[in-house]
Amino acid sequence: MSDSPVSTHDPKGDVAPAEASPQEQKKMEQAYAQMKRKMSMEEISKKIKHKVMVLSGKGGVGKSTVSTGLALSLAQQGLSVGILDIDITGPNVPKMMGLDGRRLHVESGRIHPAQGHLGVKVISMAFLLDNEDTPVVWRGPIKLGAIQQFIGDVEWGNLDYLIIDFPPGTSDEPLTVAQSLPDIDGMVIVTTPQEVALLDSRKSITFSESLKVPVLGVVENMSGYTISGKAKPGSEIEIAAPAGKTLKTTADDSGAFSVTLDIFKEGGGKLTAEEFGVPFLGALPFDPGFVRGGDDGVHRIVSEPEGPSAIAFAAVVSALQEQIVEDSGSGLEII
Amino acid sequence: MTDELPNMKRFERRELDVVVTYEDGSEFQITYDDLRHACPCAKCSPLRNVDEASKNLRRQVEALPKEKPKVRTVGNYALGFEWTQGCSSGIYRFERIWDLANRRDPDNGKPYVHGAW
Ligand SMILES: Nc1ncnc2c1ncn2[C@@H]1O[C@H](COP(=O)(O)OP(=O)(O)O)[C@@H](O)[C@H]1O
Ligand SMILES: [Mg+2]
Repeated sequence: MSDSPVSTHDPKGDVAPAEASPQEQKKMEQAYAQMKRKMSMEEISKKIKHKVMVLSGKGGVGKSTVSTGLALSLAQQGLSVGILDIDITGPNVPKMMGLDGRRLHVESGRIHPAQGHLGVKVISMAFLLDNEDTPVVWRGPIKLGAIQQFIGDVEWGNLDYLIIDFPPGTSDEPLTVAQSLPDIDGMVIVTTPQEVALLDSRKSITFSESLKVPVLGVVENMSGYTISGKAKPGSEIEIAAPAGKTLKTTADDSGAFSVTLDIFKEGGGKLTAEEFGVPFLGALPFDPGFVRGGDDGVHRIVSEPEGPSAIAFAAVVSALQEQIVEDSGSGLEII
Repeated sequence: MTDELPNMKRFERRELDVVVTYEDGSEFQITYDDLRHACPCAKCSPLRNVDEASKNLRRQVEALPKEKPKVRTVGNYALGFEWTQGCSSGIYRFERIWDLANRRDPDNGKPYVHGAW
């Protein structure tokens, strides 16, 4: 090929028409698409009142359980909520939301979210997979491009909250999202009371500073397991707890008793939060119902909307909502 | 969503109702019964889909002892009410309160389908 990709000027013509080479045309088209996407991201962002990122230092601490739980708990209050699941390594949000096996729904060039439990709108990387068991190994730029597309091309409509579930660790994804989506309220960091998880969650808190996204708070998941039962009224009960401890309690007049076992060490999430001066949003109990819910597609909050786990989530949500008070200049006087 | 929604300036709790004052000076009364009957939570909302269940909810609300709720702001977009009895789960967007103030159906006539209007 003799024509240079750099210049398309007709060497002899003085008023050369602006004929672009195919390469240039492609570049221009890309730039145009990029600009359009950026504008649409801003447009989308305006329709979403609050955007909350959910991160953890380590996988398996319950980040997706917390993301879906927060979304459902907010939806229980009557708010409109969406979840964006961009954990490419293990997108398990659809399963938890009863949307197993869904594929991406595209209509006139726009991506439409699926509706899960309580009307929560869901977009997940899993919708792109042919087979849920095949892990996706996407190269960096393609992956980040897909994320941008997921932000710019999704028809969320008006939302009160968008919850964004990330892969574990301090990867590129949160940065891409933070740069693409204006006005993120902040991030929630999920940890378990284990030392390793706590150590990693400290990294996440430091990471937030580099992202310039505030930490809304730390949630401690799998914080304790409550067993309850019946015995003779007033009888003393001894339970062999982890780490060789013995827990004692007394059955009440009706014979009911309950004790909470600290499966891991207690209170680490709170200490980490205090150490970094970020809010502690609360603790969620270890509840085998979460595991069942993950398997059969009925989230714990849906199967037991008033159970202990739903109550714990509601408390975390109200602590979160307290952190999101901004624009207090509205000057509402409550008498 | 209404575009002409004015900023709420004052929310005064009286014995049986609230007086809501907006930036433009307009003033409205909303009874606690109306407020509670319009609870947007996932448990109360579906009850309003069906006339009979809606009337039932109304009767339940009216049967509750009269009380002034605790009020909290939620972000800059809603209010939450805490009652000693009955449902306290709903978060009322300012749009919803504006609809109630103007005696409009805050559900906009749309049935509630598992969580969303
Ligand atoms: N509070 C909890 N009690 C019991 N099991 C839980 C709890 N939170 C999460 N799990 C279980 O732990 C596993 C990992 O949770 P998941 O939310 O997928 O973690 P992550 O998204 O951080 O990888 C799942 O099987 C989930 O059901
Ligand atoms: Mg996950």
